[in-house]
Amino acid sequence: MSARYAWARQLAALAIFVAAWETAGRAGLLNPIYAPSPGQIGAALVDLFGSGRIWTHLEATFTAALLGLALGIVAGIVLGVFGALIPLVAELLEPVMTLLNAIPRVILAPLFVIWLGIGIASKVALAFILVAVLIFFTVFTGIRQVDRRLVERVVTLGGGRWALVRHVYLPSVAAWVLGGLKVAVGFAFTGAVVGEFVAASRGLGYLLSFAQSTFNSALMMAIVLLIMVVVLVIFALAGRLEKYLLRWN
Amino acid sequence: MLEGASLAVGDGQFVGLVGPSGSGKSSLLRAVIGLQQPLKGTVEREVAPSDVAILFQDDALLPWKTARDNVALGLTLNDVPRAQALAQADLWLERLGLAGFGHRFPRHLSGGQRKRVALAQVLARGPKLLLMDEPFASLDAIVRARIIQDVAALVDRERISVLLVTHDLEEAISLSDHIYLLSQGPRAHVTRDYPTPLPRPRDPVRARMHAAFAPLYEKIWNDLSREVDRRP
Repeated sequence: MSARYAWARQLAALAIFVAAWETAGRAGLLNPIYAPSPGQIGAALVDLFGSGRIWTHLEATFTAALLGLALGIVAGIVLGVFGALIPLVAELLEPVMTLLNAIPRVILAPLFVIWLGIGIASKVALAFILVAVLIFFTVFTGIRQVDRRLVERVVTLGGGRWALVRHVYLPSVAAWVLGGLKVAVGFAFTGAVVGEFVAASRGLGYLLSFAQSTFNSALMMAIVLLIMVVVLVIFALAGRLEKYLLRWN
Repeated sequence: MLEGASLAVGDGQFVGLVGPSGSGKSSLLRAVIGLQQPLKGTVEREVAPSDVAILFQDDALLPWKTARDNVALGLTLNDVPRAQALAQADLWLERLGLAGFGHRFPRHLSGGQRKRVALAQVLARGPKLLLMDEPFASLDAIVRARIIQDVAALVDRERISVLLVTHDLEEAISLSDHIYLLSQGPRAHVTRDYPTPLPRPRDPVRARMHAAFAPLYEKIWNDLSREVDRRP
């Protein structure tokens, strides 16, 4: 079988699955409370967009995720660089970061709600902590693994400390961060949505928890679908950016 | 570990340095360029540090810079204005047969091409002394022979003094004016100094067919084998 048409086979399989699901739903074989049919899920989606009430939730989730992402990347780079260059910072920071890395960081969500309230701040904080720890380790371990040969090359060409930072360390750091960007985007949305799910008045996570409390599984699945699409689109954008900036690779 | 290694590279001379593994050949080059301090003793250079260049076995080009930016880097780091550095880079890439490859990233070049970029990078700085640490070991035979021909021609033309560390006796003899042999480490030292009775300028590939080549090869080979066998 040619790998070229893999996408066609995958699409066909999906179509058959959805059709079977729909048919089973209409034949009354599925309980709509547990497993609403694709048609019902679609209707819920259309209603969300048609009534326009989705926009405020999308906006809330995007704002929290992107703010957390940006702050997390900046903090992760700064802490990672200082940690790699200053032994005392590494000594103090590494155990904390290792601990934060070992636990599922979303368990901090309730704590952030108590500290920062049910507004956007607690969601930004959760997305932030998820991303910052990831980027910290990327940069921290990355700088220690900078290719010694490149350092020696620049030194023997007459480069000083600043030349090393500019031509070797910064590009290396940028490469690692970009390499981890997709994972970081996923983490940022996880943080925002879980934060909203715990306690919020807006956002896709809030909508999800609302659907759960009203036993509206069609709405729930519509939101899950929507989150998937959103993250896939952002993945694709991040992938494009990565491919362009790392075109040397 | 190297002890009491005393050797000199005269102006415009091509000097080979061979010896068993671990005799400290690489350390010696690193000491000359200042990457490593000798525990004892001195390195005397009649040329400024900026006039010494080194070529390692791996090409160590910056992967995120194009070929011409890599070559230009050697100049901009020494305060040459960027436009001028890029013009020089293009010139040197052309001299090394890489005209039209300047905009490629190292990853998109072959091993031989990368080696040529690395050569352009060090030669563009106009060094007076060029150190080479097994520079061509990783290349396959034909690519290697052709780069060696180009190197011989360029160092002749630019009157660059060279100190070449190599495991390859043929390479050493076909390029050098004379060859130092280091003894087995630890406490390696220079045991022999063989003049190469081949005229310069010369084509290093043709040099292998010279009548004096084989006898000298055999002599150094025997001495080198004896050093290798003298493992402590």
